[in-house]
Amino acid sequence: MLDLHGYGYRLLEGGLLTLELAILSLILAVILGLVTASAKLSSSIVIRAIAKAYTLVIRGVPDLVLMMLLFYGGQIGINMATDWLYYEFDVDIFVNVDAFVAGVITIGIIFGAYMSETFRGAFMAVDGGLLEAARAYGMRPWTVFRRIRFPLMMRHALPGLSNNWMVLLKTTALVSIIGLSDMVKVAAEATKATHEPFLFMIPVALGYLAISSVSEWCFMKLKARYDVGFGAEGASWNN
Amino acid sequence: MADTSIPLKINDLYKSFNDTPVLKGLSLDARKGDVITLIGASGSGKSTFLRCMNLLEMPDQGDIVVHGEPIKFKFDKHGRQPSDWKQVERIRSKLSMVFQNFNLWPHMTLLENVIEAPIHVLGQPKDKARANGLSLLERVGLAERASYYPTQLSGGQQQRGAIARALAMDPEVMLFDEPTSALDPELVGDVLEVMRELADEGRTMVVVTHEMDFARDVSNHVMFLHQGVIEEQGAPEQVLSHPKSERLKQFLSPRY
Repeated sequence: MLDLHGYGYRLLEGGLLTLELAILSLILAVILGLVTASAKLSSSIVIRAIAKAYTLVIRGVPDLVLMMLLFYGGQIGINMATDWLYYEFDVDIFVNVDAFVAGVITIGIIFGAYMSETFRGAFMAVDGGLLEAARAYGMRPWTVFRRIRFPLMMRHALPGLSNNWMVLLKTTALVSIIGLSDMVKVAAEATKATHEPFLFMIPVALGYLAISSVSEWCFMKLKARYDVGFGAEGASWNN
Repeated sequence: MADTSIPLKINDLYKSFNDTPVLKGLSLDARKGDVITLIGASGSGKSTFLRCMNLLEMPDQGDIVVHGEPIKFKFDKHGRQPSDWKQVERIRSKLSMVFQNFNLWPHMTLLENVIEAPIHVLGQPKDKARANGLSLLERVGLAERASYYPTQLSGGQQQRGAIARALAMDPEVMLFDEPTSALDPELVGDVLEVMRELADEGRTMVVVTHEMDFARDVSNHVMFLHQGVIEEQGAPEQVLSHPKSERLKQFLSPRY
């Protein structure tokens, strides 16, 4: 039996943390990406400019730097705000930036910027006539989005989305610098203590690979779901 | 003032695209059972006129009155806008449009296309919408295609399906935007046949078309548009067989 020198359980915990972090960040990134993509397609020049600035800054600065800026900067900002509340209104609260929450927010914000480009392209690929038909039948904007625009857009967004997800998953390894014990952090500690890098790094690699493989399968299912009606039924090759 | 017996009344409509006027004071009265055809060369403004009727294009000036209810407008920094989008949505649901490119939603089966707006706009219960949708598909000869996706259907079938989708709203007025222009010649007949049946049963229709036979045989009023104005209008035999204006004569004369 494989002897992990007692690190087995912690490694598993680290893997779970990686997974939670990745999934929550993905949800935040998708929401931010959809909102930013819509902002980029907005008719208002101000809204477009804000969205552009967001993607420019995020995509132009290393993830590592952003993570430290948001983690430490966030704590300083919150401290300043609570100090102000205390002096002005005598309200005494203390908010500690939780490393996990900070990690989710940082990775969500970073990948929201990348997702926004994926979604923007996908929104633009939807035939405007189909949306026009929906409006012409009296659908409210939200109904048009939910019933027509979103499902048609997803078909174009999925390849980019799955790519972003794979990168996001591996980016979670950065959270060790703000003190979170993800898979990689645990394995690194164990390696230092035991001088057996392969014993710990190979299981970590396999862990990532396992998550990736399951994701691949999920994206395949999603692709089949959003490809319905586009020739997969065997009638024609168009679209 | 407001005559509620007239399904659709347009008064003095103006529309420009980037300072180029395309509609210059167009009016139209569609009484119950009227079939009005709009003809004219491309660029004459006939499609834009039709698209202004359900506000897919925003007219700069002029009134749109549906069953005596005028659409309310306001002016803001973007120009003239409807002041009540809920009203626009309600009125749009009474004016079903059939498009040149069908615009059936490709991710839904034909039946799903037909019942989509009745369920999500009119709030019909699903089984009622389904039963109604199936009988409409049967009417347009597509009952056995109900579970097909649009890409699995020919253009003519798609357009007949789109007509069923329009009918499912039980509209006051049906707007047709060159419904046969994207079809292969041998598929045009089936679509026109369905439209003729609708006219016969008293549907109020406004049809932009290049099919002069349809205009002549089916419609009771023909409008000839030229550069954004109504150059000539009246009963089809009068307008099409005895055109007065030079331009209409030119438009109607066989070119080859």
